[in-house]
Amino acid sequence: MIAATSAQDELYREAAEIYGAALERLARAYEADAELRRDLLQEIHVALWRSFHGFDGRCSSRTWIYRVAHNVAASHVIGQRRTRAQTLVGLEELENIADSQSGPVAADRNHALNRLLKLIQRLKPLDRNVILAYLEGMEAAEIGEISGLSAANVATKIHRIKNMLARQFQQGGSES
Amino acid sequence: MNELENPVQKLWQEQPVEGIKMSVEEIRRRAGKFERRIVRRNRRETVACVLVSGLFVYFLIGTHDLLFRISYGLFIVGMFWVAVQLQRKGSIRNLPPTLGASSSLQFFRTELERQRDAVRNVWPWYLAPLVPGYLVLTIAYAIAFPQPVRWIGVLAFDVFVALIFLGIWKMNQRAARCLDRLIDELNVPE
Repeated sequence: MIAATSAQDELYREAAEIYGAALERLARAYEADAELRRDLLQEIHVALWRSFHGFDGRCSSRTWIYRVAHNVAASHVIGQRRTRAQTLVGLEELENIADSQSGPVAADRNHALNRLLKLIQRLKPLDRNVILAYLEGMEAAEIGEISGLSAANVATKIHRIKNMLARQFQQGGSES
Repeated sequence: MNELENPVQKLWQEQPVEGIKMSVEEIRRRAGKFERRIVRRNRRETVACVLVSGLFVYFLIGTHDLLFRISYGLFIVGMFWVAVQLQRKGSIRNLPPTLGASSSLQFFRTELERQRDAVRNVWPWYLAPLVPGYLVLTIAYAIAFPQPVRWIGVLAFDVFVALIFLGIWKMNQRAARCLDRLIDELNVPE
């Protein structure tokens, strides 16, 4: 029992050390309010620690960590849906929404980051999951493992994400 | 991991973070705090239920009429049933420790289905348990006060209560349809 607890603690410490910054970015993408975001991040950390008790190594620890984090965050979004009138949209809808403020990343990084966050925060949880995994530089296969979407579905979504980002940040379009 | 092919990926990954860190001790404390929050919520609902039931017990003791006594008894049983179901289906709950074993799609669908089932089936667990007590109470009133004026008052109150029940049911059905749409969207392949 003590050995299991210490293994759980050790797995958590390692996860927090390696993925702490990514988890903060994830929380930022799911919650705009600073106070609520802090609560969400703490909830993710607690869920992560608890989850390592049942970690069986059937998937990589990275996949496990992102699944836990996204699932806690999605649960947070579902909960907030009752109190916030905000309508969330899918990637296909967001792809077609024109942004009058679009501009290159290099012009003003803070401004660009805020615009990116606003775009992400408008997305439905599952699409948010895919765009965040893409922004974290994950491969399509791993995105599929975390999200549960088929490879074809992930590929379509990534294509849309690339197009949307190209349009919003004036990168000259995507080739794929 | 991909080579960063997109400047937006770089922008995203290089954004400043606060570097919030939590020790294992802090995590344990937080986990305990959340558990206590659930216990407190359950306790609050139990206290509310006991208080309302206490009121009905007071009425029950205060009357010698059998029908009134039966109706108050039914209300007490109904209240306890609702309180137990509220604790089972409540929104504040510990997320399962197997979160990492489910993909987001599975988890999201299960969560939406859980919520949809709770609101769609609001009748058997939230409304129906109070109906027997209310019906017996209405009959008890009708027998105890047979004057026509009282009848009209009882009837008006019955209509009012029925409208509230109908409103709650309709509202929950609408919420269930909304959740159904979200579930359907998850099932549609691109």
